[in-house]
Amino acid sequence: MRLFLGQRAWVLQRVTALVLLILLALGAATLLTGPSRSYEGWHALATSTHGAVLIVVFFAALCLHGWIGVRDIVLDYIHAPALRLPLLALIAVILFAIFIRVVLTMAAHFAGGA
Amino acid sequence: MRVSIYRFNPETDAKPRMQDYDVAPEAGDKKLLDVLMRLKTMDDSLSFRRSCREGVCGSDAMNINGRNGLACLTSLPGLKEPVVLRPLPGFPVIRDLIVDMTQFFAHYHSIKPYLINNEVPPERERLQSPAEREKLNGLYECILCACCSAFCPSFWWNPDKFIGPAGLLQAYRFIADSRDTATAARLAYLDDVYRLYRCRTIMNCTEVCPKGLSPSHAIERIRLALVRESS
Repeated sequence: MRLFLGQRAWVLQRVTALVLLILLALGAATLLTGPSRSYEGWHALATSTHGAVLIVVFFAALCLHGWIGVRDIVLDYIHAPALRLPLLALIAVILFAIFIRVVLTMAAHFAGGA
Repeated sequence: MRVSIYRFNPETDAKPRMQDYDVAPEAGDKKLLDVLMRLKTMDDSLSFRRSCREGVCGSDAMNINGRNGLACLTSLPGLKEPVVLRPLPGFPVIRDLIVDMTQFFAHYHSIKPYLINNEVPPERERLQSPAEREKLNGLYECILCACCSAFCPSFWWNPDKFIGPAGLLQAYRFIADSRDTATAARLAYLDDVYRLYRCRTIMNCTEVCPKGLSPSHAIERIRLALVRESS
């Protein structure tokens, strides 16, 4: 994946924003209504197959959206290559680590039969 | 009338300063440029560009009370005093209100601002339907005064790489032209994280354009054309 994409990054940012909006609205509606209003209900929902997939999709979209947004800020303000490249690498590692942590957490639930 | 003007002569001044003038506009003075011309007779060291004095050449673009505009189109009534005049922000200052527009025009030239059509020319002109001609309205009127680009934070941040609203409006003027056959090449050139996609849709360009044009709308059209082109 090229670091400095033009149109593809722009489209990806908008698509991920749409995904985040839909999932946030869906999540809020689910949490505010029905059986998931208690901790047990929320836990059961998050560890169900559908819930786990949606959570992973949500964080994938969040990390991609965040990467493009923060990358844009760095490209705007940080011009020195010696500072810019390490900073971009650090942001990429942090976002990727967040995503991997979410995937591992969800996988642990299924592996443990929770 | 009190006018406060940015003064800087690189040959004699270590740093810029603001100089206040008191001037009494006369009966025929309707626009800010008239006052500047009157000031020029009082202090001939004051430097600014002007030519057509009717909003066509775009040479007297400057920052007027914090907002970019053309002195020749800015009416005197309603101007808050002291009228603070500064050179276009983000551009290197040559002297007083005169800025270096080399970079601005380099971006303009980079988008190939001319009709490209290598097909055999017809005996008479290349015809357009009224609908095709209509698409050029709001684009061809740009006078390249640089009010928009000099009010765009994205251009301030990356003036060497971001084409800027004026250049992109001009680029879309040729993308939208039915007679031009280089649309794909023009779009491919713009598909770059800097040239086009530094635009953050701040829309200062549309806000200050003295000709009432909308560079941000043109930029949006280029983005959509790129999506269509790639799908």
